[in-house]
Amino acid sequence: MPATPRRRRLREAGAPWLFAAPAIVFFALFLVIPIGYAIYLSFRGFRIEGGGAFGRRLEAFVGLDNYRAALTDPEFLAGFGRVLVFGLISVPSVLVLALLFALLLDTPRVRGRGFARIAIFLPYAVPGVIASLMWGFLYLPSTSPLNYVAERLHAGPLDFFSTPVLYFSLANIALWSAVGFNMIIIYTALRAIPTSVYEAARLDGAGELQIALRIKIPLVAPALVLTGLFSVIGTLQLYNEPATVRPMTSTVSHSWSPLMEIYEEAFTNDNLGGAAAGSVVLAAGILVISLLLLRFLQRRTFGGNA
Amino acid sequence: MTPPRLLPQRRLSAVVLAIALSSAACSSGDSAGGGPVTLRFWTWSLKGPDPTARAIVEQYHREHPDVTVKLSEVGGTPDTVAKLLAADRADDTPDVVQVEYRAVPALMVAGALRDITADVAGSKDGVDASTWAMTTINDQVYGVPQDTGPMMLTYRKDLFDAYGVTVPTTWAEYARAAEQIHAKDPDAYIASFDPTQFEFFAAHAAQAGAQWWSTDGTAWTVGIDSEASLATADFWQDLVRRGLVKVEQLLTPEWNAEVASGRILSWAAAAWAPSVIYSVAPDTAGKWASAPLPQWTPGRTAVPFLGGSAYLVPAKSRHATEAAAFAAWLGASDEGSKLLLGLDIYPAGKAGQQETLTHEPPKLMPQQKDFYQVADQVVENTTIPMTWGPNVAMASSAFEDPFSAAALNGTSFRDVYRTVQKAVVADLEKSGFTVHE
Repeated sequence: MPATPRRRRLREAGAPWLFAAPAIVFFALFLVIPIGYAIYLSFRGFRIEGGGAFGRRLEAFVGLDNYRAALTDPEFLAGFGRVLVFGLISVPSVLVLALLFALLLDTPRVRGRGFARIAIFLPYAVPGVIASLMWGFLYLPSTSPLNYVAERLHAGPLDFFSTPVLYFSLANIALWSAVGFNMIIIYTALRAIPTSVYEAARLDGAGELQIALRIKIPLVAPALVLTGLFSVIGTLQLYNEPATVRPMTSTVSHSWSPLMEIYEEAFTNDNLGGAAAGSVVLAAGILVISLLLLRFLQRRTFGGNA
Repeated sequence: MTPPRLLPQRRLSAVVLAIALSSAACSSGDSAGGGPVTLRFWTWSLKGPDPTARAIVEQYHREHPDVTVKLSEVGGTPDTVAKLLAADRADDTPDVVQVEYRAVPALMVAGALRDITADVAGSKDGVDASTWAMTTINDQVYGVPQDTGPMMLTYRKDLFDAYGVTVPTTWAEYARAAEQIHAKDPDAYIASFDPTQFEFFAAHAAQAGAQWWSTDGTAWTVGIDSEASLATADFWQDLVRRGLVKVEQLLTPEWNAEVASGRILSWAAAAWAPSVIYSVAPDTAGKWASAPLPQWTPGRTAVPFLGGSAYLVPAKSRHATEAAAFAAWLGASDEGSKLLLGLDIYPAGKAGQQETLTHEPPKLMPQQKDFYQVADQVVENTTIPMTWGPNVAMASSAFEDPFSAAALNGTSFRDVYRTVQKAVVADLEKSGFTVHE
């Protein structure tokens, strides 16, 4: 029996929703609801009821107390300062190295391309915690082969954990995996450029260096914006490297990065409300910085009409 | 060798089995009806793969065929506390949990613990009253003591002898020994100074007569900036400033290497220290010895306990009665506390402690036949009670960061203690406690 036009219209209108339903359900379950719950938690805290030295801690509405505490916590704010310094070192070096490797791999007649690509990408497969532990061993004077050599040359002992060297040491740990990952993104963008563009450039007398500087880099600019944005967000969310290295040195405090301070509030101080407020502040900060960065870069990358 | 990969259908059946098992565990429900019970036990002292630990829980199962104990290791005290609080709020707690004594008040205040006074009343005589005091709040018992930490100085006897250093009995002598050692070998230090050892500094201050927390039952007094406490900060500041102790955290690969190669010569901790050192530097066994901890006043002997842990029963355990009975058996019965000795821990139970006197010394010092006699004497002298506040975790992180910075930058330790005092008082007041100025 043929369906009435009305019913068919309904079915057609419903079809997209039906297809999108699984995504919407999971989006709501694992993103919207947890974010809503975190915002709810950020207005709650534990307060003692019943008085006495051993009263019971009960959850209560505390208004904006948690936000006030997070925004006036000098350690939390100092954490932002520290990741800023870390980012000033790591983001440019990651982008420059990733771009350099991608351009080198994309040069014609390069040998061992497949091997080199895998070798540069491989550190990305090493989990951040494992990499931090291994670099930790390489940094500690008694276990470090670098230090062994330095002492033989009467240049040691090297202290990789003293400030400000610490920032470079941590950036170095993060660098390896980030370079590999970003190199692949930029390299993929390079492969997408039609070869006719290069042929035209060669006919006009451009060398490989000029092709790289005048054609390849401008054409992969969107990929550079993307990787740059990811690197900035990753920097603000810095956690693995300093947290793994912390037990090895006194120079990394519990609250070294904003995320470490949030973890500390949630799981050491049992202050879930404070941790939720800190997370909301961090997320808002990331959002604002990402939007500003995108606006600024888009205007430069894609001209004024973006 | 890699483990054989599960075929898809085997993997599926494993999942089904796991679901069936976990729902069975849930549906076994309230213990009132009797029947078989599985107790989930969070502990780091009894490790699942360790045959000695397995023998202990199998022994209990033989005596109580209805009760099976399942061991899991979830981390040290800070991790265990965080996970227990999360489990409590999720209404899915284990049945017995091991934590160090300092965490008991915070868990009690959070409402996560069951009052087991009645359950363990029959075991009162198995453990010393001063040890029960560490798990008793307002006359209600919240845990069964497992082990205690009689404070001792564990040192490299061979190197102390070689350098002509006598074992210090006072902290003044300790400072002189530190000078001598560093003078004889500029690469060697009497000890590392670890600013993250919060509990040690609290115990060290208690030995000097300061109580970091104390309560009259209704309000708290915080004594981190009391004069006696600040004097202990001065002591360490002096040693750090003169470079006689090495600023470095314990149990890092660096510390382990230095202990193994004779560049860190001692560790002021407790009777459990030898087994820790043995685990990181087994090749140095036979070169160490332990002595009572140095004192502030010559001739005095009193010390507090350092470390040691208890078995707690979470408020939401579904088998609380069986759990308390098992905890009492393992910690406070003659049989259980003797079995604990097999795990190289210093048992809290009287029978286990008696047993130590005829026990072989720890593996680190097979030549020191009187190790347990010395430890026993230290326990006799452990007469300084420690009261831990409900915000120890917050206090220890508020302490460790600025203390680390001060140790590295050479700024005032006294200022750190004063800052921590303010932070701890503010945190108590924010939570709603009354604090005496």
